[in-house]
Amino acid sequence: MKQKLGFSGWLYLLPTLVLIGIFSLWPVVQSVTYTLFDYKLNDQQKAGLYLNERFNTDLFNETALYINLFLSEDVANITENEDRLKVEENLQQVETVANSYTDSTGVIVISKEERTDITTLYENTKELIEDLNTKYSLTHADSLPLLVEDFNKSIIPSNFIGLQAYKDALGDNRVHTALWNTILFTVVSVAIELVLGLGLALILNKAMFGQGLVRTTSLIPWAIPTAVAALMWSYLYDGTSGIVAHFFENLGLISQSQDLLLSQGGAMVSTILADVWKTTPYMALLLLAGLQNIPGSLYEAASIDGASKFKSFFTITLPLLKSSILVALLFRTLDAFRVFDLIFVLTGGGPGGATETMSIYAYKTMFGQTNFGYGSVVVMIMFVCVAIIAIIFVRLLGTNLLDRD
Amino acid sequence: MKHSKRKLLVMFGIVVTGYLFIMVFPFLWIFITSFKTSGEIFGTGAFNVIPEDPTLKNYAVILFEKGILRAIINSFVVAISTTIYVIVVASLCAYAISRFHFKGKSILLGLVLAVSMFPQMIITGPVYNLFYDLGWLNSYFVILPYSTITLPMAVWILVTHFNQIPLALEESAKIDGATRIQTLTKIVFPLAAPGVFTTAIITFIAAWNEFLLTITLNTESNFHTVPVAISFLRDQFSILWGEVAAATTIVTIPTLIIVLIFQKQIVSGLTSGGVKE
Repeated sequence: MKQKLGFSGWLYLLPTLVLIGIFSLWPVVQSVTYTLFDYKLNDQQKAGLYLNERFNTDLFNETALYINLFLSEDVANITENEDRLKVEENLQQVETVANSYTDSTGVIVISKEERTDITTLYENTKELIEDLNTKYSLTHADSLPLLVEDFNKSIIPSNFIGLQAYKDALGDNRVHTALWNTILFTVVSVAIELVLGLGLALILNKAMFGQGLVRTTSLIPWAIPTAVAALMWSYLYDGTSGIVAHFFENLGLISQSQDLLLSQGGAMVSTILADVWKTTPYMALLLLAGLQNIPGSLYEAASIDGASKFKSFFTITLPLLKSSILVALLFRTLDAFRVFDLIFVLTGGGPGGATETMSIYAYKTMFGQTNFGYGSVVVMIMFVCVAIIAIIFVRLLGTNLLDRD
Repeated sequence: MKHSKRKLLVMFGIVVTGYLFIMVFPFLWIFITSFKTSGEIFGTGAFNVIPEDPTLKNYAVILFEKGILRAIINSFVVAISTTIYVIVVASLCAYAISRFHFKGKSILLGLVLAVSMFPQMIITGPVYNLFYDLGWLNSYFVILPYSTITLPMAVWILVTHFNQIPLALEESAKIDGATRIQTLTKIVFPLAAPGVFTTAIITFIAAWNEFLLTITLNTESNFHTVPVAISFLRDQFSILWGEVAAATTIVTIPTLIIVLIFQKQIVSGLTSGGVKE
């Protein structure tokens, strides 16, 4: 009889829940939030998630300091007393407004009145500077108009864009290409791996010798880091020194060895072959374990009943291997769909985006262009695809995947 | 009858030999290349099976100038610490799942399974921002988000193993007056040790091979692990294949040793992650 988990028993689960909560679930929620904003780390006005208008006190304080400095210097160039007074008055105003923010840093929320003060200050200063620039030749004639714009830029408009980025992504050709590349890569490589893996598992299951050797050898490609395997293959595929490229050229599969990585079709074939090399053994091992669970007596009974080898494969092996195949397919399909290291190191998504998958495009958008908003949209599309794939497989498998009692 | 059996055996031999050749050839070729000079690799000797003028220069450069040793140390630090904390956390969780009734168990299992299916890319952005705010970029704290990749898998494999241990043993321990923690350490752990060990090896390999989180969170080369350091050997302008080959050879050795020693555990770990028999 199993006990009920008491209060103290939940302590067993706590560390797992905390880790999964912080490093798996919270980031997903966060990513969903990112998709709703025009969120770019390298743009001062978009570097945060601003549902409402914000005020950048750092920029404002800095600007106030320089306006004060420059205008004070230029007072000497102003001849009319009336204008001098205006400048004094403006400087006073700058100081008054700036005084309320001297202790603030970073981006803050401001009230309506404060906003009006800042906007008025911006408009007044702008007018004054334009006025002065027409009448006198100021030392800072060029920099002052630019500087005053920073008052305006201190007010950060909301960068909430709702579902606009999703709409953009649906019309983005690069997303279409990346999605197509991902699907092509996944379907072709997993299909090849399944056929080769199943064949290999069938042969090994019948093997009288060599099983141990094959098993050891099979584990090595699976166990080495994908980045290392990718780099190894990039050498084998290389146009000048790569032996595989050279071999393919001699076979007449490609017209010149450079084509393998530098032509669009060649690059895709290369990545698929490298993936097949790395994961077929893994597939074979999973399927071999499944095959070894099928009792041999079933085959004996079938052969007594006069079934051919061919027939017993389809009536005994495949049905009994179904859940092993589905589990192997599920994990491989998801892995292939999320492919990153292999392509990142082998082709970098090139040539000309021919091998750019969703992960690569998302990575480039997020960490190359620091556009976290749109990058998250690309990731979210991938997330939805992964969810669909998982649901289909789990449905096909039935309930036994979650049944751990 | 006898004739066809021999034919089958020959076919089997050919397929297996071919397979072994394809699996081993890339490593073999990389190994050969690591002893060639640049001149030979880029010249007419590119396809020589035996290096004309064998050299250890590539190894010297990789070890003493390109800092691959630093990357190997980082990889060991990161992979070992990940393995230790993940195994402790996952064992507690898997034990509770396997031994107790509680509300939301299937939700928890579903969650664990779902997390293992997440595209890792989905967590990198928010985790990058979190680490930026905490000042944790370029540090060994990268092992914490590694839990996304390793923890669900570890829990899953451990639950399978714990389920195979008969409950009766624990019940008799309880009758003898053992506390729950005592039961766990004295009865369950020794029995579960092979399963825990298997899980530890799979976790170690997964952590050793991790790429995306390290390349995004630890951009400084001081904190690069082997996979990331290796990927930086190939830059846009120059590819020194000799050095690449030497580095690949060196970093494959730890994996090779682990596979050779622990292959039984690895296979059992891989296959127990699937469905219940």
